[in-house]
Amino acid sequence: MTTILDKPMPSPAAADKPIKPIDPNRTRATPYVFVAPAMSGIGLFVLLPALLSFIGSFFAIPLAPGANWKWVGFDNYTSVFGDPAAHRAIENTLLYCAMTIIPSLVLGLLLALLAESLRHGRTLVRTALFLPMTANLVAMAVVFKWIFALQGGFANQALAWIGIAPVNWLNDTRYSLISVALVGVWRGVSLTMLLFLAGLTTIPGAIHEAAAAEGIRGWAKLRTLILPMMKPTIVFATVLSILTSIQAFDQINVMTQGGPQESSETVLTYTWKVGFSYFQLGKASALSFVLIAVLIGIGLIRRRAFSAEQR
Amino acid sequence: MTTSPVPARLIKWLLVLIAVVISLFPFYWMLRTALAPQSQQLADGLGFWPSHLDFGNFARAWNKANLGQALLNGLIITGAILLLQLITCVPAAYAFAKIRFRGSGVLFGVVLACLLIPTQATMVPTFIGINIFGLGDTRIGLVLPFYSSAFGIFLLRQQMLSIPDALLDAARTDGLGPWRTLLRVVVPMSMPSIAAFAVFSVFTHWNDYLWPLLVARSPDLATPPLRLAVFQQADIGFDYSALAAGAAIVTAPILILFLFAQRRFVQGMAGGEIAG
Repeated sequence: MTTILDKPMPSPAAADKPIKPIDPNRTRATPYVFVAPAMSGIGLFVLLPALLSFIGSFFAIPLAPGANWKWVGFDNYTSVFGDPAAHRAIENTLLYCAMTIIPSLVLGLLLALLAESLRHGRTLVRTALFLPMTANLVAMAVVFKWIFALQGGFANQALAWIGIAPVNWLNDTRYSLISVALVGVWRGVSLTMLLFLAGLTTIPGAIHEAAAAEGIRGWAKLRTLILPMMKPTIVFATVLSILTSIQAFDQINVMTQGGPQESSETVLTYTWKVGFSYFQLGKASALSFVLIAVLIGIGLIRRRAFSAEQR
Repeated sequence: MTTSPVPARLIKWLLVLIAVVISLFPFYWMLRTALAPQSQQLADGLGFWPSHLDFGNFARAWNKANLGQALLNGLIITGAILLLQLITCVPAAYAFAKIRFRGSGVLFGVVLACLLIPTQATMVPTFIGINIFGLGDTRIGLVLPFYSSAFGIFLLRQQMLSIPDALLDAARTDGLGPWRTLLRVVVPMSMPSIAAFAVFSVFTHWNDYLWPLLVARSPDLATPPLRLAVFQQADIGFDYSALAAGAAIVTAPILILFLFAQRRFVQGMAGGEIAG
């Protein structure tokens, strides 16, 4: 690859003229000047906080600025792992993931294949199916809260219509997590479908022609041709779904606030409560760090899957 | 291409129709609720459109939730973040894509690592830090943590990799320095991914709820989702008409943006995803 630095340096005579901006020292410094602002941003606000949440997880952190942090060793972690509410939050997060990730992926793929195969109205169908992904989740959660309302909510009216007794979607410990997960799926499918559609368009037309010539169609084509070729997309969509589901917060905070009785509390809503309602910032840091470790672990699996793919 | 048999096509359309209905239903329900008179909410039953339209809900939501100011705050904050991210990420992406320099591998590795760490997971230390510097409850505190974006560097770099080196050499031969090459050659050629990233950034920060919830303590600073959430938790509890109207007001700008930018956004995001 030829880059600016590989080119011969301008002659000293040329460098002396102030009009030419290709002074070798400046050229050498340029890439650093280019990356410095962006790197400082992610260093200060992503990398450093991630490290600090690791360090902070070993301290009792007072809320008042300037007050001293107190070393407490593994107390915060003991407190997290010995806390039934934290267990509940981790358990709920796993359940929420199970309820959202697989439906999002399967339905997203199915809809992408369907939308791709349409002859008419393709653009219109796509736009309609993309909308959940773009909408403001807080606003939609407000709407869903009303749809799931015990009295007068659409969900219960529809149930009454087919003769089923009303369900207390948001205030019954058995249903609250399912209700917020339904919203998660509604939005998740939209995102995975977008990714799968993008992946489908990368399959060269020649492949489709060859398959048609060989008489490979339907399920056989999907299994032997489309899915293997879409593997990078599938890995990416899976990782993104996992990351989104682990970090579920917005609609839960609006619809149930983790309740009733912690039945829809997830790691993030619980971290929020521990940190900013109970002000146990050290314990919240420990929870955050557990979350970061899990997310990075998932990211590493993804990179691995990718490098295996590219070999 | 062979035509599928009629029943298969019928089933296909039926499935698509069901999906479209489920996908759009909450939006429809939002509008329906927002346009029906408050008194009719419970009585209407499964009526698919209110018997008469009532725009008073929008006025009530706008005034009670002070949405005008929230929209303005959202616009200022989202705009400031977008501007800063473009200023920081475009040159960085260019350097990573096209300039060979010592340490670029390590630095880009840092970018990739940061891609995996969401703001949600770093909120505790960031919040403490912002408060130590006295930026809690300020607009600067809402914007500052997002002045750069690992995703932005990554996505823009992907497209800049495809800019032919010959073009950059030609720019150099013409006496363009790195800055002018960036502005006159690289930026115009990267417009599709810059547009996709801009839309992504606006989506993310317009819709962000967690960070404003932490930082914007005073109501004057609230962003649209935050104001809506507060409005929802206030005692009006059952005024679903006004809530739905508020939700519609908060959702509308981003939906309109998406409808305009859809094509570019989808293509641009696809570019980032393939290279993973």
